[in-house]
Amino acid sequence: MRRFRIKPPLRLVAAAAIGTLSFGGVGYAASLGFSTNKLFAWSQTLTKGTCNQTSTTADDTYVQQLNPTSTAGGTATTLTISPIAATQDYAFIRFNLSGCSIPTTGGADSAVLTVNVRTAGADTISLFPVTSSWSSSTLTWNGVSGLTIGPTATGTFSASSTGAKTVTVTADVDNAIKAGNLWGWELRATSGVASVAVGAAENVTAANRPSMTLSYEK
Amino acid sequence: MKWLSNIFGLALVGLFLFVGVAAAASLGLTSGQLGAGSAAVSGCTASSLTATRNVNSSGNVTQVNVLSVPQACASETLAVTLENSSHVSLGAASTTVGTCTGGCTVTVTGFGTVSAASVTAYALSLTQ
Repeated sequence: MRRFRIKPPLRLVAAAAIGTLSFGGVGYAASLGFSTNKLFAWSQTLTKGTCNQTSTTADDTYVQQLNPTSTAGGTATTLTISPIAATQDYAFIRFNLSGCSIPTTGGADSAVLTVNVRTAGADTISLFPVTSSWSSSTLTWNGVSGLTIGPTATGTFSASSTGAKTVTVTADVDNAIKAGNLWGWELRATSGVASVAVGAAENVTAANRPSMTLSYEK
Repeated sequence: MKWLSNIFGLALVGLFLFVGVAAAASLGLTSGQLGAGSAAVSGCTASSLTATRNVNSSGNVTQVNVLSVPQACASETLAVTLENSSHVSLGAASTTVGTCTGGCTVTVTGFGTVSAASVTAYALSLTQ
């Protein structure tokens, strides 16, 4: 039997071949995702977008303790907010996000609500998230007790001067996207004694109407 | 003794190849982690799962929810990396998949302060 023997000039080539094969083995194992304990790996790419809201997708109203069975939405050009005992008024604002086509697996990266104070007063207005359905055409003071309203204010603004006021509502909108509907906020005076008003979606001046900037992912 | 040397040499070649594969494994290299798609090998699932995230009032990621994780993945480690558009890690966290009926929604927390607006991809992996 003839013995196989690599001559010296070929030994270097053989060594290089061994190294190449080893490297190839590493690469091949990596390409297959092999590891000692890794069973599965994947990535998910997100799509970013904006879907700013205006009065065309807004629905708003206010309810009056003095008129507990009356509705005030639909035609009012301002929404009254009052902390005055026995004559309290709460405002409600929401936006219909269906036109944004954001799936429930998406979310808000940033959302800022803007309201415009038309009648000023030394009140602090707090926004409480509403998570159950309501309509401006039917909501009354008595109906508010049937809504699901978060106990913690999302944010506040001072109504001591007229003009645009902004509140960051990112977490609320993010939750609403995942829930499939944005039912908006109850605006209530949590300090002060004045009756104030913010522009409604029906306000004759577009700049006075509620709006919301929204950046999202999906 | 030459034949013995040759056998030893061949054994050495085999050993190098084995070590090469093992080295890749020990490095945890996978095509999925490189953002080049997914590479199912074996185990509890062969499908890409869907992840969502929650944010706080500042717009920072508070948790990532991985939806419909098969029950077969219980007790495995689910790792999530938040990546920017350059696939650079902005934060990472992991948790052990618990037991549940049907598909589990697994919540992963502890990413630190990461703005959701900066996150453009999730890199996920399941390990034993």
